[in-house]
Amino acid sequence: MEAIPDTSGYMIAGYVFAFVVMGIYVFSLYLRNSNLKRDAETLDSLQAEQSSSSKKK
Amino acid sequence: MQPKPFILKVLDIVSIIVLAVAAYLALVFAPTEAVMGQVQRVFYFHIGTAWVGLLGFVIAAVAGVTYLITKNARWDRFEVAAVEVSTVFFFITIVLGSIWARPAWNTWWTWDPRLTTAAITELIYIAYFMLRQGIEDPEKRARFGAVYTLLGGISAPITFMVIRLFRTIHPVVIGSQSAAAQGGFSMTSDMKVAFFFSLFAFTVIFIDLMWHRIRLGSLEDKVEQLKLKVSM
Amino acid sequence: MMDIKPEIADNRPQTVGRSSSIIHRPSFIKATLAIIQKDLSAEFRSFELISAMLVFSLLVIIIFNFALELDVKVRQSVTSGVLWATFAFAGTLGLNRSMSVEKDRGCMDGLLLAPVDRSVIYFGKAISNLIFMLIVEAVVLPVYSMLYNVNLFRLDLLGVILLGSIGYAAVGTLLSTMSAQTRTREVLLPILLFPVAMPVLLASVKASSGLLAGAEFSEVLAPLNLLIVYDVIFIAIAFMVFDFVVEE
Repeated sequence: MEAIPDTSGYMIAGYVFAFVVMGIYVFSLYLRNSNLKRDAETLDSLQAEQSSSSKKK
Repeated sequence: MQPKPFILKVLDIVSIIVLAVAAYLALVFAPTEAVMGQVQRVFYFHIGTAWVGLLGFVIAAVAGVTYLITKNARWDRFEVAAVEVSTVFFFITIVLGSIWARPAWNTWWTWDPRLTTAAITELIYIAYFMLRQGIEDPEKRARFGAVYTLLGGISAPITFMVIRLFRTIHPVVIGSQSAAAQGGFSMTSDMKVAFFFSLFAFTVIFIDLMWHRIRLGSLEDKVEQLKLKVSM
Repeated sequence: MMDIKPEIADNRPQTVGRSSSIIHRPSFIKATLAIIQKDLSAEFRSFELISAMLVFSLLVIIIFNFALELDVKVRQSVTSGVLWATFAFAGTLGLNRSMSVEKDRGCMDGLLLAPVDRSVIYFGKAISNLIFMLIVEAVVLPVYSMLYNVNLFRLDLLGVILLGSIGYAAVGTLLSTMSAQTRTREVLLPILLFPVAMPVLLASVKASSGLLAGAEFSEVLAPLNLLIVYDVIFIAIAFMVFDFVVEE
């Protein structure tokens, strides 16, 4: 039998891949969250505007 | 949006720590496997992600059934969270397996029951998201999603059993013996430590991510309702 | 388009809704038969669906013929695969059409208003879809036998084809009811259906290629059992969840 084959390249690729994918997923969660928060704030202010303008009429 | 609960903050930190420890155990602590060398270390994360991936699909099917019975939107958010996080982890599982298979089996892919079933399962849950995307009414979306996770959860094990027949009847197609022989190895006790810790670590990370996704889901629902209100 | 609508609409109250004025509902079997009859008589008036499925199947076989270069040697091993791929593709075509017709002409609402159990609609639609598939298969099989000089008319093989078609129509009807209500509709059905129906297709291919290769019946028992298990489980599930898929 020959010595242990050098497969560390594959190992590194595997772990890099796993961490990158998890990182991308966490980042997408963060991004979606902040986008939605912004949307919610805009909509809240829009709603406040609407209710105040309808009162004036 | 409610402020982030304290337990979730703690869980975030714990998740990062256990991920780091699991990586340390897998990359440094566990001994190098004698036949395959370094690449065998991929196995710890492979099993960890596979475990939570499958767990999530089972949880999703159960949540789907619960939704159909209770019609409570909370279960729908639970189901989406489980499927989404699982799909990500399962994707990692498949790619890690493939990376491991290249040096171990000398091929990126074989049509082995596990591999094939994994690929089909992943496709089922991608189809799940396409189904949800095509429906505007949130209530209908939830109902259809629940039905589909149930169908997927039941058909995947049967797919596995069917594909196994292809191999037992045709052992010549792609050497089942050689695959088993080259894939198997016995774990030393240090390897077992890394192995079980990685299962534990991914369970914690899974719970943490799912919690975040559920919170995101309720924020999504809130924004959707606000949009309806404003447009009226 | 417009003149078809009243025709179909008239057809329904006659058969399904006849006893709606009286308290008792039509029996399960009677109501199911009424839906099947409605589908078949609508289809036999125009042959829209069956003719499309047939022409499509023949085209698929021609494509396979050249794509796989079906000479005598290859034919042996791939016949069942080619047949099942053809049935699956033609099946989605039929499933898509039969459900979108119901949606477009507003017949689904009529059916839902009928004083019958929702599962009656499911069984009615599933059985008529199955009948369409079987009709197509009944034409494709002799044509294939003739073209490639293989005898496909064996009782055991026909049994496998029947079991496979039942499973495929059972899941397909449920999923096409869902996909017909989405934005992407026709595009979505195969994407939803193929991964979930994978066990049916694979087990059918396995069993029929075993039979065609002259294996003993006991050798194909394993895929056959799984096929039956799948059929039973998915008919039961579709029966239970169909309510949720048509609810408005």
